[in-house]
Amino acid sequence: MASEKFTREYGNHLVDEVLKGRMTRRQLLVRASVFGFSATATAQLLAACGSSGGTSASPSASAMPSPVMGGTLKAQIPPETAGIDPLTIFDQGGIVLVYQFLEYLVTLDNTNALKPMLALSWTPNNDASVWTFKLRQGVKFNNGQPFEAEDVVKSIDRALNPKGASGALAALGGILKQGSTVATDTYTVTFNLEKPFADFPYLVCVSSYNTAILPRNYGGDIVKEPVGTGPFMIKPNSYVPKQKISFVKNPNYWGKDSSGTQLPYLDGIDFTMIQDEAAANAQLQAGAIDVEPQTVYQGAQALFADPNLRVDVYPGSGIREVAFNVNKSPWQKKELRQAIAYCLDRKAINETLYAGRSNLGYDTFWQPTVFPGSPTPPERAQDYNKAKQLLAAGGMPNGFTATLTTSKYLENPQLVQLIQAQCKPAGITVKPNIMSPTAYYAGSNANTPWLNAPWSITEWGSRPTPSVYVQAMLLPDSTWNTSHWNNPQFVSSFNSYVATPDAAARTKYATQCSQIQQDETPIILPFYISQLRTQRKNVYGIQGPGSFFFFCTQAFKTAS
Amino acid sequence: MLRLIGRRLLLMIPTLILASMLIFALAEVLPGDVGRSVLGPYATEAQVKRLDHQLGVDRPLYARYAAWAGHFVTGDWGDSLQLKTAVFPVVMRAFGNSLLLALFALVIIVPTSIVVGVFAGLRRDSALDRGITVSTLSMTVIPEFVSGVVLLYIFAVWLKWLPVQAVPPAGSPFYERFYYLILPAIPLMFLELGYIARMARVGTVQVLGMPYIRTAVLKGVPRRRVIFGHVLRNAMVPTVTVIGSQVGWLIGGLVVIETLFVYPGIGKLMVDAAQYHDVVMLEASVLLVAVVYMLANLVADIIVALLNPRIRKGG
Repeated sequence: MASEKFTREYGNHLVDEVLKGRMTRRQLLVRASVFGFSATATAQLLAACGSSGGTSASPSASAMPSPVMGGTLKAQIPPETAGIDPLTIFDQGGIVLVYQFLEYLVTLDNTNALKPMLALSWTPNNDASVWTFKLRQGVKFNNGQPFEAEDVVKSIDRALNPKGASGALAALGGILKQGSTVATDTYTVTFNLEKPFADFPYLVCVSSYNTAILPRNYGGDIVKEPVGTGPFMIKPNSYVPKQKISFVKNPNYWGKDSSGTQLPYLDGIDFTMIQDEAAANAQLQAGAIDVEPQTVYQGAQALFADPNLRVDVYPGSGIREVAFNVNKSPWQKKELRQAIAYCLDRKAINETLYAGRSNLGYDTFWQPTVFPGSPTPPERAQDYNKAKQLLAAGGMPNGFTATLTTSKYLENPQLVQLIQAQCKPAGITVKPNIMSPTAYYAGSNANTPWLNAPWSITEWGSRPTPSVYVQAMLLPDSTWNTSHWNNPQFVSSFNSYVATPDAAARTKYATQCSQIQQDETPIILPFYISQLRTQRKNVYGIQGPGSFFFFCTQAFKTAS
Repeated sequence: MLRLIGRRLLLMIPTLILASMLIFALAEVLPGDVGRSVLGPYATEAQVKRLDHQLGVDRPLYARYAAWAGHFVTGDWGDSLQLKTAVFPVVMRAFGNSLLLALFALVIIVPTSIVVGVFAGLRRDSALDRGITVSTLSMTVIPEFVSGVVLLYIFAVWLKWLPVQAVPPAGSPFYERFYYLILPAIPLMFLELGYIARMARVGTVQVLGMPYIRTAVLKGVPRRRVIFGHVLRNAMVPTVTVIGSQVGWLIGGLVVIETLFVYPGIGKLMVDAAQYHDVVMLEASVLLVAVVYMLANLVADIIVALLNPRIRKGG
């Protein structure tokens, strides 16, 4: 748990913020989770605010029956792109499989709030540049080896090897480097950051999927040595790449449910890799599989109508980044970028692509409906008069022609069509350039279409905080700065935002960042995609906020 | 005859060498590279370059081809660049699955098509002939992803008469695999029935017009003997050629069926390998399918030669 002094002082500060109306109770819950407050401490804070509080339950929790022990869950998953190497996985197929037998320091609940996993608590120093994580004791890897701080140090350093291939290198770039993680004692790890970062726990949680904790002596081939602390273990010889894999329960798993029952409830999970959505849906409806972790909206109508299935909706933070390359014509002029933003009918887009189930976005990452604690940005409704004024101010009163490039992935092509149709009344002609995903991401940073097209749409999976998104794509040194935007004022505000744990200061800096980002409009964020997960009606207890996050520790199947 | 077989077998060698070169060259023009495919869009450029170097794919094309070919001819099929696993078992497993589906489909398609086609040919221009022609052609023009989805939902999801999966659970007896293959085989039958039946019909009609058939009829040879002894034997020549040309497609070209029915065949394997620039996997799987294609055509030619003495004896 967080230190008593820190808990008391920061807790009082959070309560003050709520009582003064500068913070909601949900925001308090999220901030408390970031700074590692215990459940008891969080409950006391909420009581001090005059509420019993509590995180919102998973969509199915209200109707959940008593857990049933045993049984095997049959799950669909898209084929893993390149195996299940925990250091390099980047796609849903690989990530979901790793989640079943490896664990992380911190996990996320269904509302994106941080929860203990292998770390019991995490506490920053005063400027959030040094973080101390207390580890869970008595945990063993499935080969009997004890889990200790040295395993964390080796895992993080392995992921941050500058000559390695891990995606963690980019995700933690500029914040944590190899050799900065120290085992202070057997069950305490200290992270000495390169710069203060108040959201650091999110960078070592399950959403930072290349930071899985492996044994200190990990040899580099997870299929040959499937050693982890997770609730399941890979069933020997069951893995056929891109076809199937089976997991059996880890009988020595550390987890117990609230009534003290040993977890997991299931005896095992059989995953079948199915690429085609229609095929997966048919198997689900026929009962050949019990659950698909991510249901695509297009074609999901039959699943909504099927009385044997339950479709859960999770408010996700996945986006389609409509990026303007501000170095290329005509997007150097922010008025033209803003004009496009005012042409869009975001509600209609959400209705068409996601049956109205996603959250609307207004071109800033600080969106309180997605990231609690964020300042509320001004809405951007469709306004052709304003768009035409902006076109005139940008020197294009009669409109212009622009090419919009994207990959043929999920609903990207439909989004291009919608933007094309909605820009037309303002005199803006949008020419679609739809490429295969391979072609879209091909090439070097200097010539790959996704980083160099003048105007593009790129898909991003859920990220747990605005800072993780900004770190990746909106700073001058961001690895994936699609817009090539470089705004010193924004950078300064953002650096202040991530460097302070003070809630009032964070709100002040977040407001600055949000205003600058929205005004400058280097990218358009028309929506934040809610995730659909579909399961047979007798399947319960799958945790995680949809999509990649698919945790079966407390999953179970009833007889009917 | 033996010379014909020997010559054809020898011709396979330069054909395969040329095919292997073409595959390497074509894989080169596909956008992207292995390092990017393996590490994903969010890997840094330096990481991608490092992996490409480790895998040796940053070497010149001729050097990579020579290294691959040197190993391949000695029986070392190499490791998949994408999956980091030996190519041989993966390709052979997928090939075995495809072969099984193709043979099962052929066992249904060939006799059905021939019976239907010959029947239509024997009753040329009758209502039955027209009915058969129209219905088989209609089935042929339905794309397999349309017929596949419809059949899947009718027979597996709604009626539950047939399994929705194409592979039985682990531990099932071998014969049960055929029960699971019924549904994937039906769209293939739809596609092939019209084509092969039409060949059988045309062959029958042509042979029925031959002077030797007229002679046989006028001599009073029983109709049954005319049909089975003369018509069928000669009418089969174009049909067998067409069947031979379809075997390669039935093994390597069923990407849609394999995707829809989640069947781990070699067609999908080849597409994935091409998509992810896994040229080692692509070479092995394409060359294997090429060998089957050539062998199927050779077998078809042998059967045709056996059916037709003029070809057999070089006349």
